Amino acid sequence: MYDVVPLVQTAMSDNPSFVLRGIEDVVYENRPIPDITDTEVLVEVKKTGICGSDVHYLTHGRIGDFVVTGPMVLGHESAGVVSKVGSKVKHLKAGDRVAMEPGATCGSCEFCKSGRYQLCEDIIFAATPPYDGTLARYYRIPGHVTYKLPANLTLEDGALMEPLSVGVHSVATLAQLKTGQTIAIWGAGPVGILCMAVAKALGASRIVAVDINQARLDFAKSYVATDIFSPPALDPNESTVEYSKRTAEALKQALGIEDRGPTAIDVVIEASGAEVSIQTALFVVKTGGTYVQVGMGVAEVVVPITMLMVKELKVKGSFRYGPGDYKLAIQLAAQGKIDLKPLVTHRFAFKDAVNAFKVTRTGKSEDGKGVIKAIISGPDVSVDDIN
Amino acid sequence: MESTEADNLSFVLNAIQDVSFQPRPVPKSLGDHEVLVEVKKTGICGSDVHFYKHGRIGPLVVEKPMVLGHESSGIISQVGTKVTHLKPGDRVALEPGAVCNLCHECKIGKYELCGNIQFAATPPQDGTLGRYYRLPAGVSYRVPDSMTLEDAAMIEPLSVAVHAVANIGDFRATQTIAVWGAGPVGLLCMAVAKALGAARVIAIDIVPSRLEFAKNYAATDVFLPPPTNPNESGMEYSKRCADTMMTEFGLQERGGANVVDVVVDASGAEPSIQTALHVVKVGGTFVQLGMGTADIQIPMTLMLIKEVTIKGSFRYGPGDYPFAISLVSQGKVDLRPLVTHRFPFGQAIEAFKATQAGKSEDGKPVIKAIISGPDVSPDDHM
Repeated sequence: MYDVVPLVQTAMSDNPSFVLRGIEDVVYENRPIPDITDTEVLVEVKKTGICGSDVHYLTHGRIGDFVVTGPMVLGHESAGVVSKVGSKVKHLKAGDRVAMEPGATCGSCEFCKSGRYQLCEDIIFAATPPYDGTLARYYRIPGHVTYKLPANLTLEDGALMEPLSVGVHSVATLAQLKTGQTIAIWGAGPVGILCMAVAKALGASRIVAVDINQARLDFAKSYVATDIFSPPALDPNESTVEYSKRTAEALKQALGIEDRGPTAIDVVIEASGAEVSIQTALFVVKTGGTYVQVGMGVAEVVVPITMLMVKELKVKGSFRYGPGDYKLAIQLAAQGKIDLKPLVTHRFAFKDAVNAFKVTRTGKSEDGKGVIKAIISGPDVSVDDIN
Repeated sequence: MESTEADNLSFVLNAIQDVSFQPRPVPKSLGDHEVLVEVKKTGICGSDVHFYKHGRIGPLVVEKPMVLGHESSGIISQVGTKVTHLKPGDRVALEPGAVCNLCHECKIGKYELCGNIQFAATPPQDGTLGRYYRLPAGVSYRVPDSMTLEDAAMIEPLSVAVHAVANIGDFRATQTIAVWGAGPVGLLCMAVAKALGAARVIAIDIVPSRLEFAKNYAATDVFLPPPTNPNESGMEYSKRCADTMMTEFGLQERGGANVVDVVVDASGAEPSIQTALHVVKVGGTFVQLGMGTADIQIPMTLMLIKEVTIKGSFRYGPGDYPFAISLVSQGKVDLRPLVTHRFPFGQAIEAFKATQAGKSEDGKPVIKAIISGPDVSPDDHM
C-alpha cells in the first residue's frame, strides 16, 4: 500500500525522517540535522504519538485551508532527550528528558502578547504545512516551549503531554471547570478521554462519557468516567435536531440530570465533531452553562440557536493549547492526578511508523485490539524502552 | 373608553388574535417590598405581537386569558410598608420580571435565568397593559425629570441592548461592533456601542430604509447584503456577504485596528448569523440576541479555529436597567427618534397591527409604537 523505502541502519550523525510526499505516499529520507539559534534546543526525539489530524494529512493531503504542497515530515506529539542547547537557554542542558510543545510563535503579535499565542498567525507548528514535524531523529524547537520532565514521568508520558494539553486547554483554561462541578463529554477517543482525565484531576463531582462505541465507553468507565451513556439508534423519520432532543432527554432521564440545580451539568465538551453530538450536548448543558467545541468534524452543523440564546450558553471554540497549558498538564501527571499509562495501547518501531497511522485510522490493530494512542519510537530506540 | 380609577381596565389576550378590554381587580394586597404603579406608557415589541398572533412562543403557551404588554413606565400609586426608596407620585421605569432571589442563578448574579421568574405577559403572568401593575420595588426605578415617561418605557428594550453589548458582549471603548438587524433592538445595540465609545458601529439589514435610519441614528457604516444567487448554498452566500462587506469596509479577521471585535445578531436569521461568524475577528465574541429560526447551520470548524466565543443574551440582569437609565439621563443615548407611533389605550390593537406589519396604514415605517395608559393622551409624553 505504501511505497516505503526500507530503513537502513544509520549512525547518530544523520537525521532519518518520516516524510509525507503526497496522499497515501510516505517515505524515509535522510534530512540535514537542523541548526539551532541561541534561544532554541535540539532534541533527539524518542517517542511520538499519532492523532487523527496526522492520519488526515496522510489520507487527504490537507485539513481545510492547510494543504501539503511539498514533502513534509509528519508527527507533532513528541518527547525526547536534549542533544544541545542554544547559548541563551538556561533551564535545560544536554541529556534532559523533555516534553515538546510543537508550536513556535512570533511573540510580538496581538495574540502572543495578550495570552492567546495559539492564535498566532505566524505560528510554526510541527507537521502543519509547510512546516516539518517531529518524526525524525532530531527536532529543533524554542527553549521556552520545551519542558523538562519530572523523574516520575516516562518519555511516553512526555509524548502524551501534547494531547493532554489539548484537554487542559479545553477543560481548565476555556471551560474553567471547578472542583465539584459536573461535566459531560461527547466522544471517548483520546482527546475526550484526556478531557475526562483533566476533569477528574480538577475534582469534578461527576464525569459523564458519551460515545456510540461501547468498547470506548467501557474503557472510559474503567478509567475516569463516573457515568457512561450510549445514545439510542437513529430513527429515519425524525430530523437530526429531533433525534438530538430525544437523546438529550433520554440521557437526562437515565442519569437523573436536570436543567438547573444540583443535578445540572455545568460544562460540556464536544470532542467528536459529530453533528448530533454537538446538538445533544447543547440540549444537555445547564441553563447558563459552558460548552466547549474541541472536536473537529463536519465543518457546518445545525445548532439550536434560539435555545442557546434563551439558556444564555457560552460556546467556546478550543484550538490546540496556550500559555500555561503544558505546564498544568505536566503537573497533573507528575502529581499522580492523571495516569497516562492505560492510554498507550500500541507501540511501533521507527521503521514501522506507517503502521501507527494504519491502526489509528482503523481504530484497532489486526488482532482486534482497540486503539487509544499509538506511539512510534525514535530511530534506534526500542519500543520497550519507555523511559 | 369609559373607566374609573377604581377599576383596572386591561388589554387582554383571550385566544389567538382575540383581544378585548376587561376590567380586572385592582391588586389589593401589596407585599412589604412591592409597589403599585399606574402604568402610563407601554411600548410594543415583536414578542408581544408573536403571542398575539400565535398564542405561544416555543414552550410558553397562553392557556388562559392574559394581559399583554411588558415595556412600561408609570407613576407610583402605593408602596409596601418596607419600601423606602420610592413614594407615591414618583415617575418610574418598570423592569417587568419578579425573580425569587434564592435560586443558584439569582445568587450568582444571573437572575435573568431564574427558573421561578414571573415575567409580565409571559404566560401565565399578566402583563402591564392595565391601569395598574404590581411589582417588586427593587425593579422599579425612578427616572430623572429630564426623562419623559416615554423614555422610561423605552428603558426595557434599551436594557436588552445594554445586557447584550455591555454585559454579555463586554464591549469596550475604541472597539468595533457589527449588528445584524436594524430593528428597534438592533438600533439600541448600536446606540449602546456608540455611547460606550465605539470606533465603528456597522449596521446590516436587508431593508434599505432601516439602514438609512441607522446611519442617521448611531451607525458609522451601513451594509446592504447583495441579492442571493440561486446556484449557491446558504453558507456560500453568507461567505460571499462576509467577503463583500469586509472588502467594502477594509476589515480583516486579524490585525489590530481593522477588525470587528464584537458581532451581535439581532435578526434571528440564518444568513446573518453565518455571516457574522465569518466577519468577527479571530478570538472575538458573537452575541446571539435575535430570536428567529430555531435551528440554523453554523460554520463550526471555523468557529473552533478562530476560537470565537458565542454567547446567548436573554433579557437583562443585575445592573442593566440602572446602566440604561444612566446612559439616557447623561445624554449618551437618545431614545426619542425611535418612537414612531403613538396610540391611546382604546386603540391598543393598532399598535400591535402596526408593529406586526412594520408600518402603519399610512405607510410610515414602525420602529417603536407606544400605547398610553387609560386616560392618558398619546400627545402627552409625560
